[in-house]
Amino acid sequence: MKNGKRIDNRLPNELRPIKFEVGALERADGSCYVEHGGNKIMAAVYGPRAVHPRHLQQANRAIIRYRYNMASFSVEERRRPGPDRRSIEISKVSREAIDPVIIKEFYPRSTIDIFVEILQADAGTRSAGINAASVALADAGVPMRGLISSCAVGKVDDTVVLDLVKEEDNYGQADMPVAMDVRTGEVTLLQMDGHLTLDEFEQALELGKIGCASIAKMQREALIQKYRGEEDE
Amino acid sequence: MKKQEKVDKTIVVPGDLLSEDAAKAAEGTYVENGKVYSLIYGLADEREKVRVIPLSGKYLPATGDVVVGMVSDISFSNWKVDINSPYEALMHISEYPRRIESSEMAKIMGVGDLAIFKVVDVDPSMKIELAPREGQLRVLRSGRVVEVSYTKVPRVIGRAGSMISLLKSKLDVNIFVGKNGRIWINGKVEDEDLAVKVIKRIEQEAHTSGLTDRITKLLEEEKHGVHEKR
Amino acid sequence: MNDVIAEIKRDYIYELAKRSERADGRALDEYRPIQVEVGLIGKAEGSARVKIGNTQVLVGVKVQPGEPFPDAPDTGVIITNVELVPLASPSFEPGPPDENAIELARVVDRGVRESGAIDLSQLTLPDGKVWLIFIDVHVLDHDGNLMDAAALGALAALVNAKKPCERYGYGPDAPLPIKESPVAVTAVDLDGEIMLDPSLDEETIASSKLTVISGLQGALAGMQKSGTGTLSVEEIARIVKLASSKAMQIRDDLFGGSTDG
Repeated sequence: MKNGKRIDNRLPNELRPIKFEVGALERADGSCYVEHGGNKIMAAVYGPRAVHPRHLQQANRAIIRYRYNMASFSVEERRRPGPDRRSIEISKVSREAIDPVIIKEFYPRSTIDIFVEILQADAGTRSAGINAASVALADAGVPMRGLISSCAVGKVDDTVVLDLVKEEDNYGQADMPVAMDVRTGEVTLLQMDGHLTLDEFEQALELGKIGCASIAKMQREALIQKYRGEEDE
Repeated sequence: MKKQEKVDKTIVVPGDLLSEDAAKAAEGTYVENGKVYSLIYGLADEREKVRVIPLSGKYLPATGDVVVGMVSDISFSNWKVDINSPYEALMHISEYPRRIESSEMAKIMGVGDLAIFKVVDVDPSMKIELAPREGQLRVLRSGRVVEVSYTKVPRVIGRAGSMISLLKSKLDVNIFVGKNGRIWINGKVEDEDLAVKVIKRIEQEAHTSGLTDRITKLLEEEKHGVHEKR
Repeated sequence: MNDVIAEIKRDYIYELAKRSERADGRALDEYRPIQVEVGLIGKAEGSARVKIGNTQVLVGVKVQPGEPFPDAPDTGVIITNVELVPLASPSFEPGPPDENAIELARVVDRGVRESGAIDLSQLTLPDGKVWLIFIDVHVLDHDGNLMDAAALGALAALVNAKKPCERYGYGPDAPLPIKESPVAVTAVDLDGEIMLDPSLDEETIASSKLTVISGLQGALAGMQKSGTGTLSVEEIARIVKLASSKAMQIRDDLFGGSTDG
């Protein structure tokens, strides 16, 4: 960090440029493509639909499945396709981030499948994936109490900053992805990797709330725009 | 589409605040701390009650619904029917108007056959039971089925059936609109083509005002050009 | 349940085929609109997104130095993979590539390899290493004819690609040595009628599918028949002729007659 500006010239509380495209896919029930800084991510939702294998189904509610997957070409060094331990963990915490707002009881014995494909990665993929997934769920007509918004906060050069970029993620002092239902302020995802004092943590959480609030606005705008776009065709 | 078509309802997303009066909450909403919020991505209808009309989503059957279903499998005593819902529906062999043996089932309705059914029961675990719509089982042996989002079916029917009457009078085809978004059309191929085109247009513009007029106009224009195609 | 097609839909498509017509109004040898966009994945050394109608695939080409195969020390390596990710279709399940994904990958690979599209002998590096070329096809939306979309995406991504020489200290970046331009054209046989670029329904109903990959001069670089139906020798000859000329047309439309991307 130099003169209060970061490696990509952003201020500590500034998000990278973000763009949402709702309904980018035909086959999926709901979909959303997001570009967040250098991240390019496609999220799609199938469901509610029948669960196979049947023994996974729950008698009185839908199950939620979330699969975060990185394309081989999404990173600097070509990655072998398929889930690795990191993808599996991210899938789990991401699912747990969105599950709380979905009204699963409306759809017993079914599954709502969320797929997030990372086409290009540039730090903060799990958060961007969750943002896209929330919009895709809304696009699919899944009933939810609210949209979940996510961003990552971190610490670079002893300063708490919002939305780490790759270099900041690699050389920074802390990385803290967070997700929340912005309307209620309820936190649904919280992970921290690195070193933060209690004070820094509180700052980071506050910054995270502000970041998520901005993103929630964008998610909402994108959904409303899709409709407007259909009208103006 | 021209820009003067406007939506007469507000677009909302899950979590949007709709009203501070909990008593007004209706479909597509939920109440929290006395306030009404949207549960879905849809159009908010804020007249007497506050409800949100879905723009997308899966069809959930209710008793009494009449649907177009496709047989996906046959077991010893049930036809398994795909009704374009997360849930498979069953028509029990005993629902067939006359007594038949299990071995006759496939001949009456085989895998891949479509028919018009009535939903006679939906239990809490979403087990769905079907029966023929009324008396005879109507298996659809010709024509085509168009699928639209079930959320657009009310628009295809229109207020007091205005849209569907218009279609039936101007299009030279038999039309049956299933509550599950499956619409059966039967006639000459060119006429079916036009019907499909018109229905798809209704689906796309369902949320706009003045649609009935535009569709009337489209039908007039197409009627003159229709026999030149194909 | 997704794989059952309504009988009346089947009948309708066959009826149309008898009259040499198709459900979406296309001519028998007409392709849906093809869109190719290159360079969208900056992290990949080459990339392309291909849309044929609603079918959409994203291909990333990664080029990295690595060890050659022991029996071919002076030859570059091509590795092709296709991911039929579940978001692309309700019938795709998560997991390792199934027989469909593997078939797609191997046919695309054959087309690139057998046509000599890349001169593998020009991929050697000073330190005994060679360039490894990874062609990764990520299917995003399946609405029929993944084969042609994947093959086209692979070609476009390869043409778009640059060897990252600078990053590894091998001098300035340079394009891959592309010598040929293989284009795949897929046909289905519906009760004797041959149709190119099958839609999802046509593909599901047809008993046989034949993909023909041809190069710049019309020479054949690959073929693959799939499906449980049969094709007569005469039908095959017809398809090959149709496919070769269609491939030229597609190549001209997209690459303007050259492979300069």
